[in-house]
Parts: sequence; C-alpha cells; structure tokens
Amino acid sequence: MLVPIWKPDSERPFRISIGSIPFSLFIPQEVLLRQALTRYREFTADSDTGLPIFLRPGSGTEPESETFSYDLDGASLVLRRSAAEFRGVQHEYALDSLLRILLTVVLLPKRGFLLHAATVVRDGLAYVFAGRSGAGKSTVASLSPAGSVLTDEISLLRFTDGRWQAHGTPFWGEFRARGRNQHYPLAGVYSLVQAPEDRVQSISKKEILRALLPCVLFFTGEKRANEALLHTVLEMIEQVPFWRLHFRRDARFWEAVTS
Amino acid sequence: MNECPERNPKLAWREIDGEIVIISPEDSQVHELNETASLIWKYSDGIRSCKEIAAELAAEFDVSLEVARDDVAQLVKALEEKRLLFVAAAVEG
Repeated sequence: MLVPIWKPDSERPFRISIGSIPFSLFIPQEVLLRQALTRYREFTADSDTGLPIFLRPGSGTEPESETFSYDLDGASLVLRRSAAEFRGVQHEYALDSLLRILLTVVLLPKRGFLLHAATVVRDGLAYVFAGRSGAGKSTVASLSPAGSVLTDEISLLRFTDGRWQAHGTPFWGEFRARGRNQHYPLAGVYSLVQAPEDRVQSISKKEILRALLPCVLFFTGEKRANEALLHTVLEMIEQVPFWRLHFRRDARFWEAVTS
Repeated sequence: MNECPERNPKLAWREIDGEIVIISPEDSQVHELNETASLIWKYSDGIRSCKEIAAELAAEFDVSLEVARDDVAQLVKALEEKRLLFVAAAVEG
C-alpha cells in the first residue's frame, strides 16, 4: 500500500471507521502515521464527517471545555464536543490505547460498548466469547476455523440496523491480525469458564450482568455514563441469548455451542 | 430507628427482577442486593426513617415489626459501611 507523504500541518486526515463510527486522525509524526496506516488499514474509510482526532505534543490540557479526559502513562486524551486530542503519544500502542478509550465514550450514546471477548463468525452469525485475561478468548479463537475469527480480544457490540451486532475491531490480542471491518448479527454471548466438560448453561439476568460487567471496557467514573452503560448492557441482555460456556479448551466446545 | 438512610447519589443502579444492582463509578465495583436489602435501598430516600422502612418491610414480607427492625438496623449499617447509603438523623418537628 502506498504511504502518503505527510506534512505536520497537512489538512489530509487519515480516515477510519470502527463500529460504523468514523474518525479523522490528524497525525503529524510521520513514523506514527505510517504505523497507524498499517495497523488500521482494514478500517480505512471514506467518510469526511468523522470525529477529528488531533495528535499533539505535550501533556497540557485545558479542562474548562472538555467533556471527557483520561491520562495514560504520559499520554492523554481530551474529548470536546466536536473534536478529540491525543497528547504526548510516542508510539502506536499509546495511540491504540487512547483510541479504545475514546471509543468507549463515543459508543455509549450510540448503544454500543467494547467487551473483552473473542468473536467468531459461523453461518453469518457472531458468537461472542467473553472473559477477562486468561479466560480462554485466544484459545477459542485458535480452535475456530481459519478466517472465522472477527477478533480474539476486544469485541465491539452495538445496536445497528435494528439489531445487536458484533463489529470487527483493530484491537487484537495474541492473534495480532489486522481485523476485519465487518459486522454480523449476534447469535449469542458466552461467558467463558474452564471446566472438565463442554456444556452451555442458562443463567439469570443478574448472573449475566455479574459475568459481563467486569468484561466491559469502561473508563469513566461519571454517574450518568455508568447509568447509561447499565441501561445499554441490560438492553442487550434482554434481546440477545446469553449463556455460561463451560469448556475444556479444545475444539469440541463448538458442539455444545451449536447444539 | 429515627435515622433517615439515603442512597449515595454518586451511584448508578438498576432493578433487575426485583433486586438491585449498583455500580460504584469511582471504583467500578458492582454490588448486588438481595430482596430485603433491595427493598431497604428503594425506600432509602433520605425522608423515610428506619422505623418507617421497617414497617414497610414487615408488611411486604409478612414478618413481625421487631424482626423487620432488626433486619433494617443490620442492613442499613452494612450498606453504610460500604458507602452505598448515608444515614442522617431525622429532623424533629
């Protein structure tokens, strides 16, 4: 792929779309821009209406007009009404982390959220396997047919086109793939539990919430945002089948899931 | 029993199948209340006293007022310790 020559004051943003939410990245650092072009290649978009994200040096912020801010290991995110700023970003991993955090904020009013989960597509439907680190997300992905994995680490669930769907993300774990900018209706969400047998278990709404909430990526202590998150997650729980999946870390778990 | 418990206004909460689930935004803790604690939570509006809440509890669960008062005293204390409720003395008059 051709990499455009980038000038610090260029008016040409790098446009991407994640979860059907467009962003226009203004990255003055050429090295970082090249890394972003590679990392988010599959998520390149044409829309010129995306939320502008300006990468700036330094860490200073002007708190009076920000709607959300977050500091992360020397880098910071400031979200205002019509634009976001990423400050002090030195490498692509910081850019990626701030982009995830920004997405959690932007997604919420659009009936969506990010979830620590692997998503696998079978027969046009998305199977979402949720769990914290070590729960088996990458194992599920590795035991699924080649080309069927939408993500092995961070799933984006959002109500679009009249139903809950899983969207591909560029946020990957051990697979380190570039991801696919596609979305599929949810077949179900499965909370991963390692066990000596493969079986799916029906659980109550409260148990679902107990399993799901710790897996949601969320970075704000603001009450209204937390209320909105509860509302959105509960709305999904009402509409999407949810199960606890006991699995042995081998491919036979698919028999339990699809039976 | 004259104190008036009040929900911590910083908390996000929802009722699910008759029971309360609370998110504490400051530390991302999720708290789940049982049926009895959920009822106390709903009546903890800073206006009703523990005595009044106990009366509601006794009627709802068909237990004696004495048992209800003991339950309210214990649960309000536990919820206060978790900073889910604040307790203020009732205003006289």
